[in-house]
Amino acid sequence: MLPKATPREELLINLRAAYARMWVRLRGSNREVTGLVAEIGLPILTIGAYVILYRAIGLPPTAGAAVIIGGAMIAFWTNVLWNMSSQWFWERESGNLEMYLVAPVSRMSVLLGMAMGGSVNTSIRALGIVLLGIFVFQVPFQLADPLSIGLVFVLTLVALYTMGMLFASIFMLYGREAWNTANLLQEPVYFLSGAYFPRIYAPVVPFALQVAGSLIPMTIGLDAIRRLAIYGESIATIWPHILALIACTLILFPLARRALNYMESLGKKEGRLTLRWQ
Amino acid sequence: MAVADFVKSAGESFRVGWKIESNWTDPVLFATYQVIRPLASLLIVAFIVIIGASVGAAANSAFYTQYLAWLIVGNAFYAFVLQIMLGMAILVHVDRTRYEVLKNIYISPGTLHPYVIGRGLVSVVNGAVSVVLTLLFSVAIFNGLLHMNIPLNLLGVNLLMLIPVVILGIISLLAIGYMLCAVNIVSNRMEFILGDSVSGIFFLLGGVIFPVALLPWYVQPISNVLPITYLLNAVRESFGLLPTGSYMSDLAYLGLTTLVTLIVGITVFRLAEQRAKKLGLFDRKSEY
Repeated sequence: MLPKATPREELLINLRAAYARMWVRLRGSNREVTGLVAEIGLPILTIGAYVILYRAIGLPPTAGAAVIIGGAMIAFWTNVLWNMSSQWFWERESGNLEMYLVAPVSRMSVLLGMAMGGSVNTSIRALGIVLLGIFVFQVPFQLADPLSIGLVFVLTLVALYTMGMLFASIFMLYGREAWNTANLLQEPVYFLSGAYFPRIYAPVVPFALQVAGSLIPMTIGLDAIRRLAIYGESIATIWPHILALIACTLILFPLARRALNYMESLGKKEGRLTLRWQ
Repeated sequence: MAVADFVKSAGESFRVGWKIESNWTDPVLFATYQVIRPLASLLIVAFIVIIGASVGAAANSAFYTQYLAWLIVGNAFYAFVLQIMLGMAILVHVDRTRYEVLKNIYISPGTLHPYVIGRGLVSVVNGAVSVVLTLLFSVAIFNGLLHMNIPLNLLGVNLLMLIPVVILGIISLLAIGYMLCAVNIVSNRMEFILGDSVSGIFFLLGGVIFPVALLPWYVQPISNVLPITYLLNAVRESFGLLPTGSYMSDLAYLGLTTLVTLIVGITVFRLAEQRAKKLGLFDRKSEY
């Protein structure tokens, strides 16, 4: 029988697992230049269409700036959907999931590594989208308080990727549903989060829509970032956003952990953890 | 006989494709899935226009309601582009790498081309369902629920004008989808980029949510060679949202661009097929 690891050893091995998974993600996503270029250039096509639409209906240039930030945040949502939520599905299809399951580490550390790698990768792409968007469409930004923007941005990412961990756990036993569900969570979330609107929390947007959108951390973070970076507001006006983002993380993280344990146990009972081509 | 075999193979491929795309869930959830994405896309642009109207950015409310009708029709028919491009761009990857059946399809006599066409037709059916449901939901939401009086009369559509352009448009999109399959046969790095790239270019340049005339002058020539531009123009004319005077020229341009894409699509596919056979790419694995 193997000796039981001390808490320190357990922590270290889990941190090493998270680092290893992050390294794979960083290396895998950045070695292909066409992928990097496409992930920065593709959102600009959609953003461009909306910026031109805003100009067509005579809205001010700040609306275009809001769309550019929205487009950049969508990159994170896409990453959460396809590279976090669906990840166990991909791993099972390629035969890697069983290796994760027999490794002497917590599955949460693997998810943490994915989240760290994904957020770093997508931040590079999001920065590219914002810079390219500003350059191409010449829209105004007010970066009076970059520290507050950075704080809200980090809190948004933490909440968003924690949601990704929860989804990854729920999607664990999915077959083709994983693909279709991830597809389904694209445009509806772009709509609910107000990614392409100047503002989601505006009188013209129905209250029910605002409430539904607020269940997604991206909606809250996006609104706060826009207030700070475009409309010139200060951190004093966005403290409810900060509290909401912290609350999201505190609620979603234990949920993700419980969901992961439950789905893994269910998968073992039903023998579905190694099932391919569903 | 050859035509009958082709049709039979395409029919079987359609049957397989339909099962793969639809039997992962129950019919009600599948229908919901088919309508939610295009409807959400439509709601995004519709709300942008509604927000524009709320701040009184442009002239009057008539402008917004007319623009909204123009936009609903363009966005609804864009579902064909999305379904066909995304469906056909991923087809080779899924069958080669995930299910590992592309090599079996290829070595069966004369099945690769009808197989691709049959699978493309599944995307066409999915697109058609999305178009119809999006139009119905749009009228129900904007006229029924929000009482916006959008000038969109679904019963007044001129079907004699609509049907030929939709058929031509679908043929051109299938030909472009054929090209995407060809690229994926010889490459294993583009499958997740191609569909989004082409549909994104069409969304920006094809006059989906704003008139092509609003694009910078230097990109308008690109719009003018895209079949989608003429498809959407002619569709809007058949809905009575544009003057019908230019319908025949739009139809002619659509026919011409369809013919060109068809020739290029078949040529590119055959070249890719030859190259793949020479380099042994039909059973290449790219996921580990």
